[in-house]
Amino acid sequence: MFPSAKLGVLSIVAACLASAQTLHTNIDLPKDKDAPITVVHYDDGDSKATPRGGAYLVDFHPNLTLRNSGSKRIRSVTLLVQDQETKASISVPSLDVAPGDTFPLRINQTLFGNPSVDVQLDGVLFEDLSFYGPDTLHLQYNMTVWELEARQDRKFYKSLLEVSGGQALRNAMIDSMARQADVAQPNVRMARGRATTAEAGQDMQFAFLRLPDSPVELTGGRAKIFANEADGPSFAVHNVSKRPVRHLEIGWILKDQAGREFLAASLPADLNLPPGQSGQVTEDASLRFQGQGVIQSMKGFISSAEFADGSYWIPSRKQLEDPELRAVVAPSPEEQRLSSIYKKKGLDALIEELKKF
Amino acid sequence: MPMSRHIPEADLALFITGDAGMWRYVRINLHVAGCEACRARIEAYRMSRQRLKQAAAEMPEGADWDRLAAEMTANIRVGLAAGECVAPRRGKLDLGWRGSASGWKSAGWRASGWKTAGWKNIAAWSAIAAGVAAVLSAAWVLNLPSSDGDTLAHAMHSLFQGGAQGHASPPRSISNSEDRGAVVEASADGVKLRKNGIAVSTPQAASRPVVPMVITVSAPGSASTRYVDDDTGQIIVSSVYVP
Repeated sequence: MFPSAKLGVLSIVAACLASAQTLHTNIDLPKDKDAPITVVHYDDGDSKATPRGGAYLVDFHPNLTLRNSGSKRIRSVTLLVQDQETKASISVPSLDVAPGDTFPLRINQTLFGNPSVDVQLDGVLFEDLSFYGPDTLHLQYNMTVWELEARQDRKFYKSLLEVSGGQALRNAMIDSMARQADVAQPNVRMARGRATTAEAGQDMQFAFLRLPDSPVELTGGRAKIFANEADGPSFAVHNVSKRPVRHLEIGWILKDQAGREFLAASLPADLNLPPGQSGQVTEDASLRFQGQGVIQSMKGFISSAEFADGSYWIPSRKQLEDPELRAVVAPSPEEQRLSSIYKKKGLDALIEELKKF
Repeated sequence: MPMSRHIPEADLALFITGDAGMWRYVRINLHVAGCEACRARIEAYRMSRQRLKQAAAEMPEGADWDRLAAEMTANIRVGLAAGECVAPRRGKLDLGWRGSASGWKSAGWRASGWKTAGWKNIAAWSAIAAGVAAVLSAAWVLNLPSSDGDTLAHAMHSLFQGGAQGHASPPRSISNSEDRGAVVEASADGVKLRKNGIAVSTPQAASRPVVPMVITVSAPGSASTRYVDDDTGQIIVSSVYVP
């Protein structure tokens, strides 16, 4: 009896250890002949699933190489990575992948749930701003804005190089890196839904940063404040352009007791706003400072918008030079990439990179 | 406080940590001056606390406390779930520690029913488990980030005040966001999704990134880190979503 019981326990332990090493990955990319992306190589890399109580902590670091199997240059890709409990995504903006070319895509994600991870293609943005994919994460808007910002930034730096030379480009890169280091990062906790407390908060009005050629203006805005938490922001918006607007994003800036300002969150909103009309944007979310402190004031600004015809508005570089925005809005992904090329490889490499576009 | 009544454990703990309050502190001091037993207990507590602090200080640098907290939470859940499984069969369980120095006689289920020895064994094991849990909890609390400390304080406050009494509203600093399930946290260190006590972090950039990473929060329920991948030079935007 005793040896058999012991054997049974050992078998169970062995089974548990074996299951600890098994990670099931399902790479679910489109397989039809028109799919713009195909998998060239995949392996789990040093991914592992470690039992943690009744669940698994999954360190997911696979090696993935994809091919542009379509006929257009790829500018941005988003993959959805999820298990039973956790949903995450990996987006790679500022790509320039020609048809037939391959490119690596690094996934470096921690998940908590079961040791079965699904990877799905959520979207691909092409050079002509057309889009492929289910867009379940609603990132087509962001991917398009990233690409438009990238074009604007490359144009600015190429123009600077042509007009003022390499030294001016070098100075601009140094300035960009200084700005990246100085931009205040958010230090907040965000929850969905409204506060349920019976305790009365106080309404706080937003101040507005107006960007001269923004197609939409903020005409009112407030949120409920409970010391260090801002709850349920709402904005009144007015379309001052001549085209209907169907989507916009509002930047939400918080100022703490110490006078420190940072871009706490963005509020995207789908709407149907004809020219000259007003509307309301509300969000069932709350933001709370991490640590101590109370919210001293709040500001809002329109950070981007999409017209009903599918064209976009983004702030110009000149508008982003506004000292109030400059202190809180980080440079675009492309500016981040170009400055990293300059820092790692020098001015000549940066000039070569700009010439590619 | 008469000498015949020794200091309650709770007061003793508060006294050791300097949280007893002035009046209670004076009373305990007066009692201890004439009570050898309580003095000894205080000394023992002090030594334990010192050892615990040393043990905490000896923990490896760079330990991922969020991951450890998630691990503990998961294990507690498993324990609770196991308890649920065991509860209906309580009368059938024999832990099998038969008082023999030779160790376990059996680790399996038995249908032999309750025996006096079984009760004693369970009591002994419960005491050991409670002791281990207390030590682990103390170590965990000592290393809690302040925000989590707030949450714990909130939970303790609710526990002692009673949620149905109506008059005990949670301290405002605890906020309501913790009561609403999953939250995303964003700071210069990166982004975390917290759900039921489990924290999942987005990847961090290299310890010395070429350019700083950018942290963003989107009100519909996501937070992202944007950084330059060291190997490929690509910009990576890694996001987690509130379910």
